[in-house]
Order: sequence, then C-alpha cells, then structure tokens
Amino acid sequence: MSGVINQRQSPAFGVLMVILIIMAIGPIMMMIATSLKLDVDIMSSTSGLLFLPTLQNYETVLCNALWYEPAHLDYCDPTFGRALKSSLIIALVSTIITLMLGTMAAYALVRFRFMGRGVISMTTLLMRMVPPAVLLVPVFGILTFDFCINDNCLAGTYSGIVLIYVAMNLPFVIWILQSFIVQVPIQLEEAARMDGANPFQVFYLVVLPLIKPGLAAASIFTFRIAWNEYLLANALLDRNTRTVPVTIVNSLTGYDTDWGVIMATGTLLAIPPIIFTFVASKQIITGMTAGAVKG
Amino acid sequence: MPTLKLERLCKRYASHEVIHSIDLEMADREFTVLVGPSGCGKSTTLRMIAGLETVSDGEIYIDGRPVSRLEPKERGLAMVFQDYALYPHMNVAKNMSFALRLEKKPKAEINKKVNEVAEMLGLSNLLHRKPAELSGGQRQRVAMGRALTRDAATFLFDEPLSNLDAKLRGQMRAELALMSQQVQKNMVYVTHDQVEAMTLADRIVVMQDGHIRQQGTPEELFRHPNSKFVAGFIGSPPMNFLKGVISQSGNETAVVGQGYKLSLSPEQAQRVSKQDNQEVILGIRPSDLSYAPDAKAEDALELKVVISEYIGAQSILLASCGDQNISVEIKSDQPVPLQETMKFAVHKGGLHLFDQKTEAAI
Repeated sequence: MSGVINQRQSPAFGVLMVILIIMAIGPIMMMIATSLKLDVDIMSSTSGLLFLPTLQNYETVLCNALWYEPAHLDYCDPTFGRALKSSLIIALVSTIITLMLGTMAAYALVRFRFMGRGVISMTTLLMRMVPPAVLLVPVFGILTFDFCINDNCLAGTYSGIVLIYVAMNLPFVIWILQSFIVQVPIQLEEAARMDGANPFQVFYLVVLPLIKPGLAAASIFTFRIAWNEYLLANALLDRNTRTVPVTIVNSLTGYDTDWGVIMATGTLLAIPPIIFTFVASKQIITGMTAGAVKG
Repeated sequence: MPTLKLERLCKRYASHEVIHSIDLEMADREFTVLVGPSGCGKSTTLRMIAGLETVSDGEIYIDGRPVSRLEPKERGLAMVFQDYALYPHMNVAKNMSFALRLEKKPKAEINKKVNEVAEMLGLSNLLHRKPAELSGGQRQRVAMGRALTRDAATFLFDEPLSNLDAKLRGQMRAELALMSQQVQKNMVYVTHDQVEAMTLADRIVVMQDGHIRQQGTPEELFRHPNSKFVAGFIGSPPMNFLKGVISQSGNETAVVGQGYKLSLSPEQAQRVSKQDNQEVILGIRPSDLSYAPDAKAEDALELKVVISEYIGAQSILLASCGDQNISVEIKSDQPVPLQETMKFAVHKGGLHLFDQKTEAAI
C-alpha cells in the first residue's frame, strides 16, 4: 500500500465536500420534504424543516388508484395518476420493443453477411446526430395528418409516441448490443447448431443469455430516455395520454400552483427509474462468457 | 458398408480454391484422422462434413444419403470443438443434455443418459458446476460428454486436445482411445499433431494444400510413405533427407551422395534401374540408423556426431554427413564420442527413395 498518499486532509476539502453533497442532494431532499408538507406549511415562512409529515399530497396524486377515498378530497383529479400510468406504459412498452428489435438487428448486423450491411451499421449511428427538436415538426405533421384510420391518427396515442421512442433509441441500442454480441464466441453458436438448434433457438437459448449485461445496460438507457423525454411528449400527446414530465410543467401555472402535489408527483416520478435501474444493473455481471472457450 | 463418403469435394472462398476435389471413404466404425500442417484444409473439410461450411462443389454421403445441402442437425453428427465451446450459462448437466432437450426427449430419459455418460467420463460429481469452475481437462471431458449423450452415428473432433498442456494431452489421448473402443462409432478426428494421429487412428489421411497426399493405416504410412512430404510429416523425429544420385556398376545398384555410398536392395534396384545417374532424394528415419563400427561400407553412413540430446532411454544425435545434417536415434546406454567420425549402419528396408523433381516415392 505504498502508493497511498497518507496525508492529513485540509479542512477546506471537507467543507468543499459538504457543499457538493448539499448541491447534489439538496434539491431532492427539498422536493421530498415539500411533498410531505401541507399547503399551510409550504407557504408559511416559519416552518422550514420542522413540520408534521403527511401523506396527503400522495393521496391526492394517486386518488383514483387508491382503494379508499381520501378524506380531505371533495373531488378526485385524475390528471397526475393518469400521467404516471401513461409514463409507465410508454416507457415500458417502448423499452421492450426497442430491445426486441435491437437485439435481433444487432445480431443480424454482427453475424450475417448481406448487401448493405456496412451502410446500415453506419447509418444507425448517423441517426443519432439528428437532434429530436429537428424531428419535432415533421414528426408532428406525419402523426397528425398521415397514417390515419377513420380520422383516428397516431398523434395523441400511446402507439404514436412509442413508435417515435423506439425509432429514437433503436440506433443506440443496436450499437451497444453489437459490441456485446461480437464477444460471444462463434464456436458456441456452431456447437448449438451441431446440437440441433435452429437459428432462433441459437439466438434465444445461447446468444441472448450471454448478452444479458448488454441488454440490461441498453434497457436502463432506453427506459430513462423514454421516462424523461419532454419535448416530443409535449407536442405529440393529448390530455388523456400525457406523461408525467409534461403534466408537471403544465401545472406550473401563474396562479394556484399546488406545490405539495407537484413535489409528490416529482418524488413518484423518481421511483420507477430507480427500481428499474437497480433490477437491471443486477444483470450486469462481468465475465459472462468465462469458461466458454479455452481456459 | 461405408458410412461416410466424400466425393470430389471442393471448397472455394470467392475465386480462391482451398480444397481441391478430394475423395475419401471412411469405413464403418473406423477412427479416421485427418492430419496435416496448418492451413492444409483439414479443419475446413471437417467443417464441411459437419455442415458449418457450405460445400462449393462435390457431395458428402452419410450412409449413402447426400447431405451437403442439409443443415447440421439433419446430418446426425456430433462434434467436439477445439475450444470446447461449452455454454457458459449452463451447468455441466445442462450442457450435456442441450441437444436432448432440444429434441424434447422425456426428462427421465435425458437424466438417465446424462448420468450414464457422466459416469463413463468421471464427471458425476461435477454435474452442477458451471464451465468456468472446471479445469481444462474437465472442460474437455464435458465437451466430449456433450457429443456422447447424443446417439450420433459419427463423431467429429476438431483438434480437441490442442489447448491442453503436454501431460494432460497424453492422458486425454489415452482416454479418447479408450472411449472410442467403448462406443464403437465412426470417428473423424482432425489434428496437426502426427503423434496423436499415429496413436489414435485406424486410418490416417495426410493432407497438404487442400489435397489428400496419402491415406492408410499408421503403419503403412510410416513404412511406405508415397511422397517426401508424407515421409517427412509422419514420424518423430522426422525423416532425414539426403541428396543423391543412382549409380550402377555391374549388377550392383547404389545411391551415391556427398560422403556416402549405399547399395540398394534388389527390389529397389529394379524400380530405379531404368535410369542411370537419376537424381534422387534419399530418406532415412533416425530410428533406422544404429551405431556399428564394423559395418560394411556399402550399408553404412560415416557421420560426424556434433550434438547428443539425451531424452531418457533414447538419445537423439545430431550429426553431419558431408555438409548435410542428419539425426540419429539410438539407445542412451551406448556412449558415443562427440566430434568424431563414426559408422552408422542403415537397417534393412530403411532406405526410402524419392524423385528429385516430383518428390514421389520410387
């Protein structure tokens, strides 16, 4: 351990660390604290950190999902509950579809030789160079005026936004998974073919379990983008399908802003990605292919 | 009835031909070894039999059925790979039963088969381990076990022992020989190691540059190589080659070179008799020479021993004959002085003659 510098830290370093920590988690703490306060406490200039915590704001947000009717509410406003549900559906569905298409596309790009393979591989990355804001106007036009069945267009529907998120995330997912699939030894696939597996069985039973870490990384990435996205969601969704980020911004109006409810929604917004990331990162184990070939 | 037959088999990558129309028939329950230097096409040939490489031209017959357009699984073969290729996310039992599970065999039958094979290979107490938790030899055994659990008619081995260290390789080679005796199946085995080929094979097929150079039993190839290449490839240490010329005087035919003159047997003399002064390559195996101070001059080489390599019961002498080098394998209990010129007798039948140009045996 001779390389460790064994030196007394200066007190200034400690102070700096404390400042950085406060800057990092301070806003989150404030959000959680505010979400547990009554309006009276939020608006009063005296309360600060001393208050009686209550779950009332959470009851208000989730009022239409609860099994009982919260006593303090005369009327249950479904906006925030609905937004949470929309966010979950859109993020999960787009993640699942992106991963399904992404793994298969990445596998094909790595393992199969076909015309235009190099071009496709390149263009998937080129796609990333276009900022979503540039896509906003044309996509809005397409979803509003094209692909309509009996006046039902894709704009304002889950399908529409899921389609956009899949298209947006697919290039990156393909790119990330390609590097994982390349590492799966080709002999494993040949062995599986000799053992009588058809191409889909080779893919599902041999390749897929081995690229779990890549799938986890890609799914965290995709889920978070879909969960956080504001710009396209704001333009393409209507009041019945709006996601949480859009709903929060919409409720920050000039008058009668219900801070307690907004903070509670914000706190709830943070929970699914945390759970998702925690579960998915369990799959990221290095050395998955150890022992496959050679020694 | 031959169960595996290759007919004018070709492999081309773009316009580059790597396997040139090879014909081969393997008899039932025969252990066939394809051997040759790196890049000779032996692995490609095996992979074409397996169905992992497409066949450019020609046909492969298994039990008389043409299979070159069939998927690997439709050919009824099992294969052991050079790098083991075990599924790292499955334990040993799952690895071994993968093929049976794909066939949707009943569970009881699968378990019975896996236990049977595990017993045979000494893997019974490792069934729940992952490949990463096994040693090289154990992994190799699992790879063989995976092939054995299937009731394949033919087993293919692609240099299965090349990743093991020398001692383990010897041990696994013996186990493999034992296993092939027990299961009595067709085996096609690829290796670049001629010792493996000699010890395991019923029949050796020597390949070079995408051609089959010679095939036969290990003894046939060792005793009667048909070309300089086969002669130099089979046998360890390799055969010595000396330049020489055929000369005839009276009824005696001899091969004469720098610093030696050896008389030929009547049969050999007959084969060369038509051409006097024919330029030939003389091949003598190191083991066909022995130290004999009082040998007749026409049956012996005069060699100056430079180095003696002691390897136990045997010693390899590196000697010079004129300006050409030659190695001799003798018993270690004969002391041989270095830097002295001595006589070494050539054993009867120990002379191999090859044409200077075509390198074919004469």
